[in-house]
Amino acid sequence: MKSNTKYNYAGYLYILPWIIGFLLLQLVPLINSLWYSFTDFQLLGSPNFTGLANFKKIFSGDQTFIKSLNVTFIYVLIAVPLKIAFALFIAVILNQKIKGINLFRTLYYIPSILGGSVAVSVLWKYLFMNQGVVNNTLAVVGLPAIDWLGDPRYALGTVSMVTVWQFGSSMLLFLAGLKQIPVSLYEAARIDGAGRARIFWKITIPELSPIVLFNLIMQMINAFQDFTSAYVITQGGPLKSTYLYGLMLYDQGFKFFKMGYASALSWILFVIIMFFTSLTFRSSQSWVHYGDSK
Amino acid sequence: MKKSILAVLVVLLAAGSVFATGQADDGASGNVTLRMSWWGGDSRHTPTLNALEAYTAAHPEVKIEGEYGGWDGYYQKLVTQVAGGTAADIIQIDQPWLSELSSKGEVFVEIDASMVDLSQFDAKFLENYCTYNGKLMGLPTGTNVNTFAVDTKMLADYGIDPDTVWTWDNIVSEGKKINAQNPDCYFSGATPDILRFWFEMYMAQVAGAVVDNDGKVAFTEAQGTEAFEYFQSWFDEGIIAPFSQTSLFFQKFQENPSWITGEMATTWTWVSSMNKDIGNRPNFETRQLPVMDGAANSGVLMRPSQIMVIHSRSKHKAEAADVMKYLFTDTEALEILGLARGIPSAEIGRSVLASKGAISVMAETATNEGIAQAGLPQSVYQMNSEVMQVMQDIIDEFGFGKLTPAEASRKLIANLESTIANL
Repeated sequence: MKSNTKYNYAGYLYILPWIIGFLLLQLVPLINSLWYSFTDFQLLGSPNFTGLANFKKIFSGDQTFIKSLNVTFIYVLIAVPLKIAFALFIAVILNQKIKGINLFRTLYYIPSILGGSVAVSVLWKYLFMNQGVVNNTLAVVGLPAIDWLGDPRYALGTVSMVTVWQFGSSMLLFLAGLKQIPVSLYEAARIDGAGRARIFWKITIPELSPIVLFNLIMQMINAFQDFTSAYVITQGGPLKSTYLYGLMLYDQGFKFFKMGYASALSWILFVIIMFFTSLTFRSSQSWVHYGDSK
Repeated sequence: MKKSILAVLVVLLAAGSVFATGQADDGASGNVTLRMSWWGGDSRHTPTLNALEAYTAAHPEVKIEGEYGGWDGYYQKLVTQVAGGTAADIIQIDQPWLSELSSKGEVFVEIDASMVDLSQFDAKFLENYCTYNGKLMGLPTGTNVNTFAVDTKMLADYGIDPDTVWTWDNIVSEGKKINAQNPDCYFSGATPDILRFWFEMYMAQVAGAVVDNDGKVAFTEAQGTEAFEYFQSWFDEGIIAPFSQTSLFFQKFQENPSWITGEMATTWTWVSSMNKDIGNRPNFETRQLPVMDGAANSGVLMRPSQIMVIHSRSKHKAEAADVMKYLFTDTEALEILGLARGIPSAEIGRSVLASKGAISVMAETATNEGIAQAGLPQSVYQMNSEVMQVMQDIIDEFGFGKLTPAEASRKLIANLESTIANL
């Protein structure tokens, strides 16, 4: 018993750097921001307690909040499913036994290494701007130019494509998952006369479902908090059509310096993400198949 | 073994906390390290660093670290640093920040004649732009005014007299010739943010301001409608490109390929950023901006290019003041700095550069003509970042055709009033 306790101390000691980091760099700011969300904190000067005033203001007619929330939901709805579908598609292709397959795997992962970076967003801007590469290419084929980033109807879609393009990490997980599926299952299915599509939907997808769940949750959490691409490419415009929640938070906090208000907004985002994550977890009981469950 | 691991960890932690306190105060040994922060491009960084080096060469006991970069994010970083008490000793700020930051507490050191020879500066200019509650908080680097930069050759090519004295009417009647002859080309390069400046100038001439010094909306709904109707004609007559083509270059109109390749002839701009805006395009000259007959306020803005301040939590205020004095009034420094921050505000700065022929005719003309027509300073309310955002949002909706002139005017007044009430 005594030696056990000693062993525990040593264990704590080993994780001490992480614990200190967590306490100082994460827990303290978290609690602080919760406190600030009930104040009128403006970064300079000291915060005054204002009760639920921030939340009341947000929910009673902050037009920007509603607009931004809308944009964010649409963004999550476009970007996350597309990204996962695309990652799965590429993973299935890269799971074949082709010569030089490792080169392709590396190539497809590269966008994710650059992931979320400012450079990629700048590149995107120059690809899709009015006289950008895409429109010039369209012109060569004789198609009309489209205001990819200037038209409020298309801008969000174009910005979402940056996210979809960075499918590498999801793809890698799918690829690992595909390798785990026992070959015997496929063999049995083929002997029973199942076609490729049937094998894919009846064996591959159910066997991969835990990874789909993991990707779905991770990508959803990330997408709700996305910031860089919209900030760099469109700054939330045109007409706030790409004004993601993270952008609004940033504006409130660092443009208008309403830190209290911004803290309240971020806790609302936390609740929203929490809600959709738990919803996804709950729904997973009906569509995720773990190998050990019968 | 375990004990030794424990010991190592304890030592590491202790060491970490020592490092965390930052570098030890080196004042005791007679050496002083100052930090100075500014934004800009290489044309500002290099001369500034050279001037600081020249200063430290003459004052070996002082070390100055430059913290410099681009404009993007500079203010955010500064406010965060001020909040954390880690801002540099000498800070370059933009004029509107002086009151915005000072209103939150004592952030800057009051400047007095014992630090720098204040007679070098125009007293009215200092009072109007560099004070907070009657206290002088910083020194203006240069005088910056609005100007109207025009591509004389492009205008002439489209049959417009390049020497035209511009009025609000002939901008439309002459300007439309360009787009009428070439649908890819426009008279003005204005992006949504630049159109906001035009709108603010128009409102200043019609009603004195958008938001006055008491925080009241200064224009009536009818006046607002009139202004928006005027700018509607800019879209209808092809004076400016549709927002769908320009909104991507918000606050960066000079990066628009249509501008760079010479498909747009003119721009409203600040003299201090004129060279950057014109870039490699030849044939540019500056003109005065349009002012209505009998306008109470021309709306043409004049203000310090930047303001240099000393952080109130600096440990070496006297040394920082001495560096300021050097940068603003020392012949050697002024020669090294040249036009890194525009035409200097200090008398001696102008004479040093003039004697060297360093001030370009274009910059001098633009500055003098701008000062000649400059209007009143904008109110603190109108320069507030949230108020500017409200104006920008309405301009955007109007420009994208979501609001008629009358709707835009009504909505702008309503949104300004509710925003100002919440400040």
